[in-house]
Amino acid sequence: MAQLNRWPSQDFGELTVKRSLFAFAILASTALTSAAYAADTIKIGLSGPFTGGSSSMGVSMRDGVKLAVAEINKAGGVLGKQLQLVERDDEAKNEVGVQVAQELINKEQVVATLGFINTGVGQAAQRFYQEAEIPVLNNVATGSILTNQWPDAKANYVFRNAANDTIQSAMIAEEAVKRQGFKKPAILADSTNYGQLGQKDLTEALAKMDIKPVANEKFNIGDTDMTAQVLKAKEAGADVILTYAIGPELAQIANAMAKLGWKVPMIGSWTLSMASFIDTAGPNGDGAMMPQTFIESPTTAKRKDFIEAYHKAYGGDRMPSPVSAAQGYDSAYLLVAAINQAKSTDGKKIKDALENLQTKVEGVVTVYDHPYTAKDHEAISSNIPVFGLVKGGRVVPAHPEDVAGDKALRIKPKS
Amino acid sequence: MNILAQLVISGVVVGMIYGVIAFGYQLTFATSKTLNFGQGEALMLGALVGLTTINFLIGQSLGAFTAYLLMLPVVLAFGLLQGAVVEFLGVRQAIRTKSEAGWIMATIALGIIFKNLAENIWGRDALRFPSPLPEAALTIGPIRIQPMEIAIVLGAIALMIAVEVFNRRSIYGKAVVATANDRDAAGLMGINTRLVITFSYALSSMAAAFAGVLVAPITLTGATMGAVLGLKAFAVAIIGGLSSGVGVVVGGLILGISENLTGYYISTGYKDVPGLVLLLLVLTFKPSGLFGSAAIKKV
Repeated sequence: MAQLNRWPSQDFGELTVKRSLFAFAILASTALTSAAYAADTIKIGLSGPFTGGSSSMGVSMRDGVKLAVAEINKAGGVLGKQLQLVERDDEAKNEVGVQVAQELINKEQVVATLGFINTGVGQAAQRFYQEAEIPVLNNVATGSILTNQWPDAKANYVFRNAANDTIQSAMIAEEAVKRQGFKKPAILADSTNYGQLGQKDLTEALAKMDIKPVANEKFNIGDTDMTAQVLKAKEAGADVILTYAIGPELAQIANAMAKLGWKVPMIGSWTLSMASFIDTAGPNGDGAMMPQTFIESPTTAKRKDFIEAYHKAYGGDRMPSPVSAAQGYDSAYLLVAAINQAKSTDGKKIKDALENLQTKVEGVVTVYDHPYTAKDHEAISSNIPVFGLVKGGRVVPAHPEDVAGDKALRIKPKS
Repeated sequence: MNILAQLVISGVVVGMIYGVIAFGYQLTFATSKTLNFGQGEALMLGALVGLTTINFLIGQSLGAFTAYLLMLPVVLAFGLLQGAVVEFLGVRQAIRTKSEAGWIMATIALGIIFKNLAENIWGRDALRFPSPLPEAALTIGPIRIQPMEIAIVLGAIALMIAVEVFNRRSIYGKAVVATANDRDAAGLMGINTRLVITFSYALSSMAAAFAGVLVAPITLTGATMGAVLGLKAFAVAIIGGLSSGVGVVVGGLILGISENLTGYYISTGYKDVPGLVLLLLVLTFKPSGLFGSAAIKKV
């Protein structure tokens, strides 16, 4: 009460501060209960590795998303509001991914999150979105499990627009055995989850064609010498090397093959398109083949616009990871279509809209016509990716006839 | 092609890298009975400083080979300085207070700081190191080997011989040996043992930095490159014995060759196992290492 007596005096300034603080507190508490509605922007989370070994994919994905968001905002935004990206570096580390997820959900109150390059990070972080009922549009990570982490849950908040490992391993086996006629494949995979799960998928895909790999070798991230692995494949009489690993170690394999004076084709998962493989392996990496949802060549009008806009915004003449950039770009448009249809930023309504998307979304990778259903959260079907080939430091179509004419645009068949 | 020979040669190359790093462990252990657990980070810093220097020199339109040779003194000087800093910040205090474990924590902590520092300066990406020699492999009899791999073996041997000759022939080196034999007596004879210990740390990091620029052209350079190498070299130092210069070379060769042979003849999934089993066996039956003289601790 002592303060009351002083009210009329010179302490008036303090009072105003207190009053406005009070007003702010009320505002803040209303905002906390309905932040998404109260704000004049719609916050979208973005989680990916922007530093470290997989940063070429993370940065390309981020740039693709930013490009789409800039276009959307320029055209008037969504539901009359501007989109605001909240970017966080998950450093490709599971525990950092979990922290990022919690921050985006609880502190930033995002309406949805785009991203995830690394299967492990997605696996660790996605359950927080699932619990908070906030949709995730997983645009790069390929682990088959990611869209099916909770088979018993009533609803699944994880969607994907990347070619998963089941699709990729089947494609690799098909290309090596059926299309190119190799009979004695050797599998070389790294010892991470990515490599070992991919190795398992590959072995199964080969088994369906009655082919048993002649060698099945492993290596660790950071291994400096691949002589033993490559020699084993060579002595087993392998006629093709199938890989599941990431850029730097893939380059070590190509370099070890060159050192041993042995050259057989390398066919592997999409990571063979990583800049760290192409640049480190140099000429030794030429000819490597991998499934790609997007190859940096203007085969459709949409792709041409996208490639030009990307290089105008970020410079250079080669995207560090074209697949990540294109998928990132498309994921933003898929999300926006769903928000528009839901006429709401409520997580559950966005999820329902995604599962029954009425508008066709014209993306860079494909035209998304009802891409998801309640049961199927994979927008990319096995007919969409084509094989890319490393040639002179770039990825080009391995079979030009696959992307010629009306085959350039491949669309998921209606279920 | 003779597979065994190829595997052994590749193992020798990797083993020599382990050996040089382990040689660094042995240098500081001899004078002060302490080790720099940030040895892998010293290697990484050396490689990254080398990378910046060589790229600068190549930017001055020098050939890769000349640039590499000119870069070496810079990296060696940097290694000396870095080792002295580690000793000054992490080890000196622990020795003065006769702390049993203070230096362990301090050198590990410094290693983490150096790694974070490198991540901030050079980023977290693995970077390509320009090769000073042609990258095409040579065929020598039944085996194929890259010129840089030969350079690694020769460079590693040259460095170790140079340090050994320095220690045995020069008056400064004799101070090092005297300190290694009996620190208190050496102190009484007027040798500044504190300076000798700083010097041994400087030499130790110099060896690691040199190993860094040796291995960089056949692999990639980055903030995390030292972790595995530093750890393996530690195993080598234990196997070979921390008091023997020959021991670390032989230990390195044993580990490098056994890794490759296991990878080929057993399974690449078990590549690292025999080295670690050997480590456990040595610790059980000959704790001072295969070539170490038994340490008798008088109390």
